[in-house]
Amino acid sequence: MARTLSDPGGGAREQNRLLLIATKRSFTIIVYALLIALAFSMIFPYLWMLANSFKSRTDFFTNPYSVIPMPPTLSTYYDALTIGRMGVYLGNSILYAAAVLIVQLLIDSLAAYSFARVDFPGRETLFLAVLATLMLPGSVTLIPTFLIAHGLGLTNTFTGVVLPGFAGAFGIFLLRQFFLNIPRELEDAARIDGSGFFGTYWRIMLPLAKPAMVTLGVFIFLNEWSSFVWPLIILSDWKKYPVTVGIALFRDVNQINWPAVFAGSTIVSFPIVILFVLAQEYIIGGISLSGLKG
Amino acid sequence: MTTLAQPSQPVQTRASRQRELWRRFRKTWPGYLFISPAGLLITVFSYIAIIFSLYISFHQYDIISEARPFEGLENYTRALSDKLVRISFRNTFIYVVVIVPSITIISLLLAVLGNQVRRGRALFRTVFFIPTITPIVVTSMLWVWLYEPTGGINRLLEMINIEGPNWLFNPATALPAIMIMTIWGAVGYYMIIFLAGLAEIPEVFYEAAKVDGAGRWHTFWSITIPLLRNSLIFAFVTLTIAAFQVFTQVFIMTQGGPMNSTQTVQMVVYHYAFQRFEMGYASAISWLLFGVIFFFSALQLKLFISRELY
Repeated sequence: MARTLSDPGGGAREQNRLLLIATKRSFTIIVYALLIALAFSMIFPYLWMLANSFKSRTDFFTNPYSVIPMPPTLSTYYDALTIGRMGVYLGNSILYAAAVLIVQLLIDSLAAYSFARVDFPGRETLFLAVLATLMLPGSVTLIPTFLIAHGLGLTNTFTGVVLPGFAGAFGIFLLRQFFLNIPRELEDAARIDGSGFFGTYWRIMLPLAKPAMVTLGVFIFLNEWSSFVWPLIILSDWKKYPVTVGIALFRDVNQINWPAVFAGSTIVSFPIVILFVLAQEYIIGGISLSGLKG
Repeated sequence: MTTLAQPSQPVQTRASRQRELWRRFRKTWPGYLFISPAGLLITVFSYIAIIFSLYISFHQYDIISEARPFEGLENYTRALSDKLVRISFRNTFIYVVVIVPSITIISLLLAVLGNQVRRGRALFRTVFFIPTITPIVVTSMLWVWLYEPTGGINRLLEMINIEGPNWLFNPATALPAIMIMTIWGAVGYYMIIFLAGLAEIPEVFYEAAKVDGAGRWHTFWSITIPLLRNSLIFAFVTLTIAAFQVFTQVFIMTQGGPMNSTQTVQMVVYHYAFQRFEMGYASAISWLLFGVIFFFSALQLKLFISRELY
């Protein structure tokens, strides 16, 4: 008080400072309020999904919007897995995702290594030809891909579902970038020890490329796990359906068994949430990379 | 002398170049072996596929009958006068025009807001990101339930005294409903793209702006936006390409109805190809879509690049 009286200029400054802090603080509060509101709008369908998946049918029909199941039950999960056949679909999805994951990682990394390190004639042209396919809209290739698979006798087969996913231009591009950044000295050492191209790839490059392989692997898995249109078209027997097509079938039935849908959705989302928690940095890193390069 | 010496020069280099090439080939032939599995798959499922697609778009082609007569441009002219195709292109245009700017603006807003806070940043990022990695079939099913006449959305609207419509069964609201759900599901992905772009902007620019006394708004427009150019172009172009091909949400939520109000081009392609088995006709429609996508991508890139010159 005494200071303000003796030094009015200081008082004004002090007031300004307080005003600045106040606006800054209210700004922060507004930002948080906005973020929390937006976060809630992102998460509320999942809260309902989770809550409803533990409700019995009668509980669901009387209180579909309560967030706490009374009493919680696992019977919907049992229903979804047995009557809803989610158990079968889940097994198929795991099989498809695992096959595409392993084979595509091998095929992509082998090609990427070759494009990055083996100086064969025509390399640049062939690499451009691979990259160019990234521009093709899936809309145009869907019908001919089906006809080719049909011609090869692959409709309604396990191979038919996974085969087109065994190579990816994006994966080859991503891994090639990574291989290019590995110092050549490491390979030269292996070369002197008498390693051929394949030996260098298998023993030196693949172990070094682990972070890039994990990033690509997560993307391949997520992609295959959510893949819907291709299995829908190529398969006709429900015993071979992946979970995505399986869940879509619930929609076809006139009377939708919503609790089973929610249980099924929770089952489908669960591996993805786990994967995201485990590999968050890889996923974020991979997406960031694609944005910065573009 | 020079006229005589000149022709012999290229002949010599061509021969030596050929020898050099052969030497290189002998040393590096395993390279072809390594790319062959990927090369074979990409050749079959991209290159042969696209040529095949173009070929059948000029033919009457279904899987069942053996007769596949050449029809010239018949499929294309038929598509241009097909009412269903016209409706689907109109709906798809509306969808693209609404969704691309909306997702770009909202995800940019999320990224900028998320960058302002220190505490809970990782948590917000995770929450916004979850819809992006959930299979679109699952999110579509969840929203079918939310959009029911007495569903979650209308319950929330009731709280603020608005009587919600029967979202998916009303021709006026079905397409907007799908758009809202898609925006909800995509903003998290582009937020990550923009966060990465924001992290690339050197702190010095913001400090300089502060010294010059620039406000938040001014700083945002004259520093953040121009320096996010690459991320913005990426978001805009990839979103446009994806939005033109929208399918799964529509297939699950409305099947193109009510009264074709949510019929999109890809839905129509699916309908003709896999429900009526008119593969040639469906391919022609998909090429029309490709043409439109190509035109708009090229236009966007040209616009963005000419901007750079100023």
